[in-house]
Amino acid sequence: MSIEIEAFTRVEGNGGAEIIIENGEVKDVKVKIFEGPRFFELLTLGRHYWDVPDLEARICAICYLSHSVASVLAIERAFGAEVPEEIMLLRELGLLGEVLESHALHLYLLVAPDLFGYADAIRMASKHGEVVKEGLTIKAFGNYLREVIGGREIHGINVKPGGFGRYPTVEELERMERQSEALLKFARRAVGIFAGQEYLGAKAEHYVAVNGYLYGNGLIADDGEHFDYFKCIEEKTLPYSFAKQSRYKGEVFMVGALPRVILKYEMLTPMARHLYEEYKEKLAQGYVSLNNLAQAIELVYALERTKEIARVLLDKGFEGENVPIEPKEGEGIGYVEAPRGVLVHHYRIDEKGNIAYSNIITPTAFNHAIMELSLYEEAKKRYGSSDEMTFLQKLEETVRAFDPCISCSVHVVRL
Amino acid sequence: MMLKLGVFELTDCGGCALNILFLYEKLFDLLEFYEIKEFHMASSIKEHDTLDVAIVTGTVSTQRDLNLLHYARNHSNYLIALGTCATHGDVQASVEGKIREKLEKVYGTRANPMKALDSTPIVQHVAVDYALPGCPYDKDEIYQVLMNLAKGVEPPTKDYPVCVECKLNEYECVLVKRGIPCLGPITLGGCNAVCIKSQLGCIGCRGPLPKEANPASEFEILKELGYDEEYIRRKFKTFARGELRW
Ligand code: SF4
Ligand code: SF4
Repeated sequence: MSIEIEAFTRVEGNGGAEIIIENGEVKDVKVKIFEGPRFFELLTLGRHYWDVPDLEARICAICYLSHSVASVLAIERAFGAEVPEEIMLLRELGLLGEVLESHALHLYLLVAPDLFGYADAIRMASKHGEVVKEGLTIKAFGNYLREVIGGREIHGINVKPGGFGRYPTVEELERMERQSEALLKFARRAVGIFAGQEYLGAKAEHYVAVNGYLYGNGLIADDGEHFDYFKCIEEKTLPYSFAKQSRYKGEVFMVGALPRVILKYEMLTPMARHLYEEYKEKLAQGYVSLNNLAQAIELVYALERTKEIARVLLDKGFEGENVPIEPKEGEGIGYVEAPRGVLVHHYRIDEKGNIAYSNIITPTAFNHAIMELSLYEEAKKRYGSSDEMTFLQKLEETVRAFDPCISCSVHVVRL
Repeated sequence: MMLKLGVFELTDCGGCALNILFLYEKLFDLLEFYEIKEFHMASSIKEHDTLDVAIVTGTVSTQRDLNLLHYARNHSNYLIALGTCATHGDVQASVEGKIREKLEKVYGTRANPMKALDSTPIVQHVAVDYALPGCPYDKDEIYQVLMNLAKGVEPPTKDYPVCVECKLNEYECVLVKRGIPCLGPITLGGCNAVCIKSQLGCIGCRGPLPKEANPASEFEILKELGYDEEYIRRKFKTFARGELRW
């Protein structure tokens, strides 16, 4: 016998699950991804490098800028091009905007209704209007950063190899500084709200993250390893899904906000670090639902860091000029922390500047195994002891904690 | 009387559904007229009901997409194809080759357990009452369309190129002045020429201008600027594989 979750709701993309019951016990859980493949690797093959970041952005709307930046980093590394610090800081502003927009969407519109007992944020707004409004304000500010840096709220084409089409103005940077300061109180309140969530799902055996806070040149793991993605991560095919599963040294691992705050707490900004210390023991429990609390702490981080960067750029000023790019044969990997976790773009480029090989691995693909394990553990714990409504509801809540982005997970995985 | 609204998402990046949530306060204005009966990205509510308005985003890329599309069409009075995926096929429809070959290239197998199909726009499968392209579309446009419908007015369609919005904003022409490949002259306007604001060329994300476009002369201009034919051909078809005009 089996129980079907026909389609997960309040997640991005189309997916479901099958819970297999034998002799009155949960035997297995299969996470099924039925979003159609979009063949992004084939789309970019043979295309000129300049056009590629704009196309890759279309993999996902919630984190389009992470894709643009990862793509641009891979291209620049393939050509051995170095950009000055201010360009990296501006890119980071865009990535911070994405963290704000994506985490706020996830926490307030998708997860909060579970905590407050509603089917969606719209219905929740009648009683808890101010919470929803605070979330939407943070989200709108994140989108403002994406608009200024990326060119549009969704699928902007301003992030380019070597720099930008248009650079932000002094007024825009000042607005970023002011608004991030003003929104901090909302973000701190979010930490309180999401700290109350119950423990759901499994504990990952390992955590993996990019070495820098939002971008870097390699991956790190909780056992101290520093590596390139293809060195320690093994992928395995499944008979029932197009999405592959990965293991780190043979074990189930997790990427995302929880691994980030734990592995890189030393890089957190003062207030975020303080909050991390306060909830350290709780976070160390490791249940995947704590990812939501980690995301709330990252809202604080993203606002503080935005303020910091805007100030540095205002004091230092910047050239607003792109670094010239000279195409040559090469290979490069771009490592970025998308809001949901590690994102990798890996290209080989030919001497004319056209893409000859491309591989992209998204956070939801990295998290596929831990997601399935979490559903299995949660189902095992609850089957028979809670009514069917609660049973299914808790399984959905468990999936939601990963903030899965199903659109991203399928078309990019190689079997 | 509240109108019943459903949002159905087929295979896509999620952007066109997400953009509805990016309406913020205006979304709450819309909710004075509409009751959401289905919107799986935003709500756990699913009521199998007849809808006044169905919004469909994405391409038909699996058998499931096709079934969902027919469901939406059969249960709605007025159907809006929203976004370039739905109206023209967008990037996934421009990937060349038959589905089995593509599966083999990426997944190393021709097996097709999820019943993937060649990506096609929804307009190719069902009659739509209104088509609003854009990757993503301008969110104020969908707001206007839904407001019009709530008031019983058939919403107007746009029919001018991106160039018009460039002129209105007094942006310098990147094609003529700087030789940047820009598809503005043959692309449907409505985005307020946002990419030219960044001094970058239009990549054609709103799909081709339906009438009066002259792709042949655009092709010649780009050739004269030194871009090779294959490059131009690929650029032209990125968002609108199905359109013969390009
Ligand atoms: S049209 Fe563009 S933004 Fe809309 S769903 Fe398709 S890829 Fe995403
Ligand atoms: S300028 Fe072109 S590419 Fe940019 S948003 Fe408008 S139609 Fe799309």
